[in-house]
Amino acid sequence: MTNTGMFFRMLFSAVFRRRSRAVMAVVASLVGAATLFCLAMICIAVPQQMNEEMRAYGANLIVTPTESGADGKNGIDSAMVEHTTEMVAAKGTEKHAAYRYENVRVNAAPYVMAGIDAAEVKNLNHHWVVDGKWPSAGKVLIGRDVADAMGLEVGGRITIGYRASDNASTSAPSDEGAGSANAETEGETSNNTGSQQSANSSTSGQTSGQQTQDGRVSSDIMDTSGTEFRVSGIVDTGGSEDSIIYATNDDVAKLTGTTRGVDVIEYSAGTEDLNALVKSINAMTSMHVKAQPVTKITSSDTRIITMLQTLFWIVSLVVLVLTLVGVGTTISSIVSQRRNEIGLRKALGASSAAIGIEFYVESAMYGLIGGLLGTAIGFGLAQWLCVAVFNRSIGFNWWLAAGSVILASLVAVIASIPPVHRATRIDPAVVLREE
Amino acid sequence: MDMLLELDHISKIYGDLHAVDDLSLTVPQGEWLAIVGSSGSGKTTLMNMIGCMDTPSKGSVKLEGRKLEDLNAGQLADVRKNLIGLVFQKFYLVPHLTAVENVMVAQYYHSVVDEKQALEALEKVGLKDRAHHLPGQLSGGEQQRVCVARALINEPKLILADEPTGNLDEKNEKIVLDLFRQLHEQGTTIIVVTHDALVASCAEREIMLNHGVLVGEKWNDEKAREAYEAAGGKPASTGAKVEGAQTGETAIGFADPTKAAKTANSLSE
Repeated sequence: MTNTGMFFRMLFSAVFRRRSRAVMAVVASLVGAATLFCLAMICIAVPQQMNEEMRAYGANLIVTPTESGADGKNGIDSAMVEHTTEMVAAKGTEKHAAYRYENVRVNAAPYVMAGIDAAEVKNLNHHWVVDGKWPSAGKVLIGRDVADAMGLEVGGRITIGYRASDNASTSAPSDEGAGSANAETEGETSNNTGSQQSANSSTSGQTSGQQTQDGRVSSDIMDTSGTEFRVSGIVDTGGSEDSIIYATNDDVAKLTGTTRGVDVIEYSAGTEDLNALVKSINAMTSMHVKAQPVTKITSSDTRIITMLQTLFWIVSLVVLVLTLVGVGTTISSIVSQRRNEIGLRKALGASSAAIGIEFYVESAMYGLIGGLLGTAIGFGLAQWLCVAVFNRSIGFNWWLAAGSVILASLVAVIASIPPVHRATRIDPAVVLREE
Repeated sequence: MDMLLELDHISKIYGDLHAVDDLSLTVPQGEWLAIVGSSGSGKTTLMNMIGCMDTPSKGSVKLEGRKLEDLNAGQLADVRKNLIGLVFQKFYLVPHLTAVENVMVAQYYHSVVDEKQALEALEKVGLKDRAHHLPGQLSGGEQQRVCVARALINEPKLILADEPTGNLDEKNEKIVLDLFRQLHEQGTTIIVVTHDALVASCAEREIMLNHGVLVGEKWNDEKAREAYEAAGGKPASTGAKVEGAQTGETAIGFADPTKAAKTANSLSE
């Protein structure tokens, strides 16, 4: 047997043949490791959960076209929608919905109509409260404000008229897009509602719709003709969506008689660095689109996550200090019980360094065993908490687990420094002092 | 004759208490010396100073020609592991190590661990079949024999034994003293601290301490005394000015101390 072999034989004997003492030290490390690992796992899970929860409140990124076509608004074509979506998806999870906006008339009053893919919008906006059904062919979803103004109910009928002149000189597509959802974008606060926008559009449309006939101005302002739709549902969000009429893209195309690109794409992007994603999209000038983060969502998300993480850090620090005290006290007790043994070893010729190394490695061993068990228990605890509180399971993080075990060993060694330092100064004569 | 140990007017003073008072003593290689005296007489303090585990307040300790006061803690540890084997009254075995592992601990701090050699040492003290038992599974006599095996495993020049039979019955006392006798015959220097007259009588030479002062010296082996004196060895002495102290170059005889319940016959059985 080599001296190294003897070293480990002594070490394992100290750990496994003195089980009651070893168990105390292991338990002290275990409790600390379990608590810290559990906190760390939750610290990782909470932002993910928060992100998902916040995503339910709609988009955190909107993309609008930067150029208009010859007819004033060509929008973003489907190929570009696909390309932009690929860019967003490359940075993380994504959900999106595209909107085509048109100014329409209902009973001669101006409104905004949005052509959508109902499934996309439903998937993106979990917070929308829809009474009835989402739009389908020949059926529209109307906002609560529209329904109240018209006295409409689910199953009722609505006649929607389209005048090309109403849409000839609308505001810039980006403004229109920003006003389409409850999106508060960075750099500009746009609380425009659809109705406000429609009103503006209507004004311009009204002007453009006036024609001179026999020296008099002829207007179609009181024209109530149009296509009849059935109201499939009423949406209530408390926001600007309540003033919009939603129909399928095909119905909007039929109504307008034109097929074109969308005015806004809303994204719920799961990327960790939304601003970087925005920059990367805006850097691609050839795409002719402009990306903007929805600050209302992202800043709330970030603020809550930062607060929670700070709280977890503080609790972790307290647990770490308590673990140090616990392990330190236990190791101190173990060392003091082995004073005679230490004195004997010194009497046999052991140097202070040799004794120090033996005890530090022994402490590391307690930390290692406690760390392994504690990490496993901490994961179980974190898993249980996440399922019970967030209703989601978490994956095992091997890097974090390795860090937890290493930290547990390190804490055990650090905690043992004062008692071991005192022990190595034991006068070997104490062993022989008893007469 | 080479002097393995030379004490030159050493004292150990704690405040007003002189635990060892101005003692001079030389011990040649291969001698078996007993230090006797009642409890509190300074025997163990003297042994600690000889064993490099304590330093004298005054005077000088020379071991194998090296002055111990000139050595640092690391060098003293080296002297302990290379020259000295220690046997304790309370055995002081590491409780979570087996008998053979306890012997190997001494090897570990000395040089290289050799389990076979450790087993041979245990065989020498009659404990080979108990080699893998923990101290708690051994009797007092067996534990003391493990302690002796640990002391002799590195073949030290000097064995220091502090009340080695203090916790043993007659049978085990005989076994341990027989082991010392064997080691002595092999040329190992043995210094035994005891207040047991029987144990002391096994030594070639005895010195007696009383309250830290040398009060007597006697030889149990005349041949050894003659050899010692022929080599220039002088009787132990003290500079303490107290009544009954052995101050000059003439040894003062003394009767063997208190504990003499066990007879010499029991050893010669």
